[in-house]
Amino acid sequence: MSTTFTAAGRLARNPHVGYAVFGAALMTLPVLAGSGLMMTSTLMTVGFTLIYAIVAMGLNLLLGYSGLISLGTAGFMGLGAYLAAYVQDDLGLGFWVAVLAALVIPTVIGILVGVVSLRVRSIYLAIATLTISEILLKTFEQAEWFTHGTAGKQSHYPVILGVQADRALVFGIIVVALVLVMMLTHNIVHGQLGRALHAMRASEVAAQAMGVNVLTYKLFAFAVATLYAGLAGALYLFFLKSSYPSTWNLFLSLNVVAMVVVGGLRSIYGTVVGAFVIFAVPELVLKRLPVIGDVAGLPYIFSGVLIIVVIMFFPQGLRGVWDVGRRMASTRRPVSAPVDAARDEVAAR
Amino acid sequence: MYALAALGIILVWRTSLVMHFAQGSMGMFSGTAVAFVLNRTGAPLWASVLVGAAVAIALGFAVDFAVIRRLRRATAVGKEIVTLGLIMVFLGLAPILFGTEPMLLPKAIPDGALTIGDAYLSYNGLLNICLGVAIAAGLFVMLQKTKIGLAIRATASNEQTARLMGIPTRRVTVLAWAAAGVLGMLAAVMIAPATTVTPTFMNTVQVTALFACVLGGFQTFYGPVLGAYLIAVAGNFLQLYVSSVWGEQLLYLLILLFLLVRPNGLVGKTYLKKV
Repeated sequence: MSTTFTAAGRLARNPHVGYAVFGAALMTLPVLAGSGLMMTSTLMTVGFTLIYAIVAMGLNLLLGYSGLISLGTAGFMGLGAYLAAYVQDDLGLGFWVAVLAALVIPTVIGILVGVVSLRVRSIYLAIATLTISEILLKTFEQAEWFTHGTAGKQSHYPVILGVQADRALVFGIIVVALVLVMMLTHNIVHGQLGRALHAMRASEVAAQAMGVNVLTYKLFAFAVATLYAGLAGALYLFFLKSSYPSTWNLFLSLNVVAMVVVGGLRSIYGTVVGAFVIFAVPELVLKRLPVIGDVAGLPYIFSGVLIIVVIMFFPQGLRGVWDVGRRMASTRRPVSAPVDAARDEVAAR
Repeated sequence: MYALAALGIILVWRTSLVMHFAQGSMGMFSGTAVAFVLNRTGAPLWASVLVGAAVAIALGFAVDFAVIRRLRRATAVGKEIVTLGLIMVFLGLAPILFGTEPMLLPKAIPDGALTIGDAYLSYNGLLNICLGVAIAAGLFVMLQKTKIGLAIRATASNEQTARLMGIPTRRVTVLAWAAAGVLGMLAAVMIAPATTVTPTFMNTVQVTALFACVLGGFQTFYGPVLGAYLIAVAGNFLQLYVSSVWGEQLLYLLILLFLLVRPNGLVGKTYLKKV
């Protein structure tokens, strides 16, 4: 009896089980939508939130551990989306090849950009990715054969393992992808790579002296970020069934930065919450407010002000707020909490 | 006009060590204010520009006082993220305050062109180039010869030492933000006649100005100006002789490749980080 209890307890404490349960809970949403308890538009919003959570997870790894900013997220995501559409619809190679293309090609481009820009100073990556994003955006508008230009690329739900997918199934795929990404991120952070990244974060010079190849690990973090962006782009296309160049602009990249900052650096669940706050709250709440709900620029101001306020007052993001709350609620772990706080304080400097 | 925006970025970078990603959108904001005053009240261009300058200075002050100054404890990355947040705030505010319809800004000199061989240059373009050079030159003289310039340069080289020497570094920083705002506004007014005034019309300027800084190197004040003129000339050349659609992209790629050869920019010195 007691052994099964501890086994169950251990199982419950295993973070991977937590991610799986989180995914299972999300899986109930299409059922709710199907039974009419939830509006389909709400399901779409949640779906896009989860897609953005995947992208933000990649940027969180990059920003949270190596302190690098990528402003090219939207470009890489758009590239993933167009590649998926091109491979699936124009070349007719099916779902899996489409996903593979959306994963590999943006990552390769990302690595090339990283190799060029990371050698000098961290900030060059932000400038280089900003540029790449502008180049990609122009390409999306101009390369008619590839993207159908500003008229937008139309696609349709994929056929997976012989099954014609519908909205609910694609939503399910998004959830599975998100859970896999959460697990992968968890493993990266807690593995040997994660230790190297942690060491870099504390002191780049010290890590270098200990034999950590700083450039390689920065490049790795950036590659993962572009990989996730490509994946999210493909999922976006399969979920919406179309893609327009105007989607992949600078605001999207900035919004992803906002998700990471608001959710809390180096926090996996925080990133999902951040994606929800930045994307779903304007969509579900702000647009329905009287008078100011119609103002076009409101979501931008909302995200922008949130970024500034969070950086100024809560450097740990919503996760920091959560931690403070938990510490006040339970004083059962008096040792680890101050240690955590002290570490965070060091990190904030 | 890229040179002016680049100068603004480098001023802020040197004095408060913040990569000023919001330079373009702040310029856009005050530039839109210029267009707004001009279109609504019918005031002459010079008066509108004066109003725009006032707006730009006020913005620079507000940003430094309300946000940047309180970020002493935040990391460099945190400050950069804050400027990213500023972009969104300005982009959101501009259509609310000035309306959503795209506006037009007239040229300072409406027509007429100078013909040199095959190339022709409008008087307005000439005016812009001359103004750009004059402002840049004026700034250099100020930086090198005046007391304020000395204070800026001291703050740029080492803020803590400068403060110990009795230089009001806070005032220098706020001045740099305001100056960057005005420079951004001027760049916006110069580029506006070529397009319409919409919230995103300064994006290219922002990218190009950042690239000018990269190309010229972040260590000097004149490097970015040099970089900006080089980019402008090379860009026109590529668009004319290679491809009007892909010229710009090609140029960006070339600059990225250039970074492989000279990572610190044209006149850059090696950047050393003290442990």
